[in-house]
Amino acid sequence: MTLKLLLITACLLTVQALGQSPSSQSTQVAPVEVKIDNFSFSPATITVPAGTTVRWTNRDDIPHTVVEDKEKFKSKTLDTDEQFTYTFTKPGTYSYFCSVHPKMTGKVVVQ
Amino acid sequence: MSNSDRRSVVLAGASDTIQHDHNHDGIDRRGFLKCMAWAGAGAYCVMQGGVLKSYALGSHGASQAKGEISFVQISDSHMGFNKPANPDVAATLQAAIDKINALPQAPAFMLHTGDITHLSKPGEFDAVDQMLKTVRVGQTFFVPGEHDVLNDDGAQYRERYGKGSQGSGWYSFDAKGVHFIALVNVMNLKAGGLGSLGNEQLEWLEKDVKNLSKSMPIVVFAHIPLWSVYPEWGWGTDDSAQALGYLKKFGSVTVLNGHIHQTMQKVEGNVTFHTAMSTAFPQPAPGSAPSPGPMKVPDEKLRSVLGITDVNFVQGKHALAVTDQTLSG
Repeated sequence: MTLKLLLITACLLTVQALGQSPSSQSTQVAPVEVKIDNFSFSPATITVPAGTTVRWTNRDDIPHTVVEDKEKFKSKTLDTDEQFTYTFTKPGTYSYFCSVHPKMTGKVVVQ
Repeated sequence: MSNSDRRSVVLAGASDTIQHDHNHDGIDRRGFLKCMAWAGAGAYCVMQGGVLKSYALGSHGASQAKGEISFVQISDSHMGFNKPANPDVAATLQAAIDKINALPQAPAFMLHTGDITHLSKPGEFDAVDQMLKTVRVGQTFFVPGEHDVLNDDGAQYRERYGKGSQGSGWYSFDAKGVHFIALVNVMNLKAGGLGSLGNEQLEWLEKDVKNLSKSMPIVVFAHIPLWSVYPEWGWGTDDSAQALGYLKKFGSVTVLNGHIHQTMQKVEGNVTFHTAMSTAFPQPAPGSAPSPGPMKVPDEKLRSVLGITDVNFVQGKHALAVTDQTLSG
């Protein structure tokens, strides 16, 4: 019995050490990935919790940009394989587009 | 069957004289379109005295067909692009330059309808400028493509090519009685939108043409097509209708564009729209692929889908004669 209790405690302690603290403000969560390819963002719409970092990767053979409609965030020009990341701290709906090919649009819903 | 035989067979089926002159302006639309449709074979159509005449490029007839003005258009050189669709865009740009330098009559000047560079890098602009020094033309006039105004809202583009221009780089000039208008429709693009001219430029355009005689031929050049080629792919300009409205009074308007990396033409009233091939890589026909990106073709076919556009104007109440030439042969 004591050994079992010891083992269980050890396991719990290990899990707690490895896992994330829910009250932490740091973004230890892996970034949410958005792929840019074939003149489109995919997924076109994503819903994430506040504090999430989103990472766009250009897999197209043409350069693109990631620009929020009101320029709340704006990437430099991304050539093939280049990336842009942005951390969404405030809840809201963020519509963005590629300023070079404006028909390409996407949305990040932050809850 | 030799090339010249094929051409005469095509011509034999349709008359070269005016049969339908609905607008009373000396242009038989059907004849003109017929001429432009097979011009890709390297022929040269000229309107003279209301009659369409065509000549094989390089033939004796072509060098005789002196227009009042001739100029050449190239587009979408994308210096800096190096993906499979064309790993060597400098080589194909050089082939285009060689083609221009081999024309029977040196063009008065050249128009570059944008996407000079691929990533707006200084080295890319420099490379194109160096290469264009060897073109046998009087002068080159530019308009920017969306690839030329990345990261700096076009500051670098205007520093290099914007002398005498206004706003984001628009201007006009006259040559041999023809009025040329350079428009910029790749700035301040809005989410979900197409190309855009903007109010300031439209106001300038209205004033620019206000006092011109309606018999003065007009040539407009801009990067993105000024008509709705394929909106789903951004191939159009949101406010071009307003611009074309200011040009309604003119008897002859020719609109030269690039951006779509393939030739396409349309005639609407007195306006002839024409897009040029790229000198770098082709793009798919509207809707024929998932996206409008660079299209890989077999290596031996590449030069046959790249090219230049030769434009010839003969004094009179006519449209300009527009001929596309590929880089092969």
